[in-house]
Amino acid sequence: MTHDSALAFRPWAAAIVTPIDDAAEKALRDLDDVALATAAAAGSRDAFDIIVERHRRAVYQVCFRFMNNHEDASDLAQDAFVRAWRGLKNFKGQAALSTWLYRIAVNTCLNKVSTKRPATEPIESTEQMADLAIEGAQQQMLREERAAAVRKAIAGLPEKQRATLILRTYHDMSHQQIADTLGSSVGAVKANFFHALNNLKKALRTEP
Amino acid sequence: MTHLTPDELIDAVDGVLAGERSAHLAACEECRAQLDDLSAVLNDARQVAVPEPSPLFWQHLSARVNEGIESEPAGAWPGWLRWQVLLPLGAAAMVILGLMMAVPKQDPRIASAAYEDAVVEPGPAADDNWGVVATLVGDLDLDTAAATGVIGPGVADRAVLALTAEEQLELTRLLQAELARAKS
Repeated sequence: MTHDSALAFRPWAAAIVTPIDDAAEKALRDLDDVALATAAAAGSRDAFDIIVERHRRAVYQVCFRFMNNHEDASDLAQDAFVRAWRGLKNFKGQAALSTWLYRIAVNTCLNKVSTKRPATEPIESTEQMADLAIEGAQQQMLREERAAAVRKAIAGLPEKQRATLILRTYHDMSHQQIADTLGSSVGAVKANFFHALNNLKKALRTEP
Repeated sequence: MTHLTPDELIDAVDGVLAGERSAHLAACEECRAQLDDLSAVLNDARQVAVPEPSPLFWQHLSARVNEGIESEPAGAWPGWLRWQVLLPLGAAAMVILGLMMAVPKQDPRIASAAYEDAVVEPGPAADDNWGVVATLVGDLDLDTAAATGVIGPGVADRAVLALTAEEQLELTRLLQAELARAKS
């Protein structure tokens, strides 16, 4: 559904572009993503705030998996949402809003990694997390060390392979959705996924 | 039968490998070992969660997004397309448009003959044409426009150079007619 047609079918969307009280905020919170995107595209910052609230975790996680450090991930998540706000009029509602946001997040990350190699989160932070584990600290530490190694190996993959692996493994996107997101073909996505898994296997073998 | 291609191995990982190729997979130890390797590393990757940031981080992120939006330049115009560029361009376009509308559609030979006449005696058509231009431009003379920055230096020159030879001829005719009228 395009925004124009969405507005035509949802005349209330144009009416909720002004600041709102509690009741109106509750009404906004009850809206689905497409309706919120329509209202936000019509200028409602409150609607966009709710979109950010709903999707900030997933967008941050995409960025974290790409960059493997919190600082870059939070910068890129912010950047992705600002770009989303700017581009809301281009959201046609043909794909889920989350997919559209992932696409923006991935492209933001790809732009970033083309100028900067991903840093890695210090192992110390994961060791600290291990102290909080319910299970035995040593076992938890080993698991966290393994997780840090996998994250580091993923962060070292070539860009397209990394994007494919992240979207397929952690966001359950189909090959077709990934192809749409990355602007490639299903065949290329499958090839990238295959090479990503193979390279990950090699990288993990060399880990101590 | 040939071994599974990378595409087919990914299909096998996804559990959607076509029947005939599934039969090969069942019979081929090499392909099965490859599939097991891929599945194992994928399973490893799936176990890895993103470290949870501080609970305060999410509010902080929302606030940062708002700050980012607030600091966006208003409107969707490209950064370089500012009023300092648009105003002179618009003014020049108005003048050119006014002149083009004012130019009577006639045979160039007649126009040339009219040019000769116009130097001596401006006709009523010239007055009408100037009327259109004057309405479009208003009371703003070139010096005032340049002084207030509405028209940048050289804009008028470039606007005249952008006219076709025929339009320049007509502009000359109109200017000379206006000069002649001012003298009388």
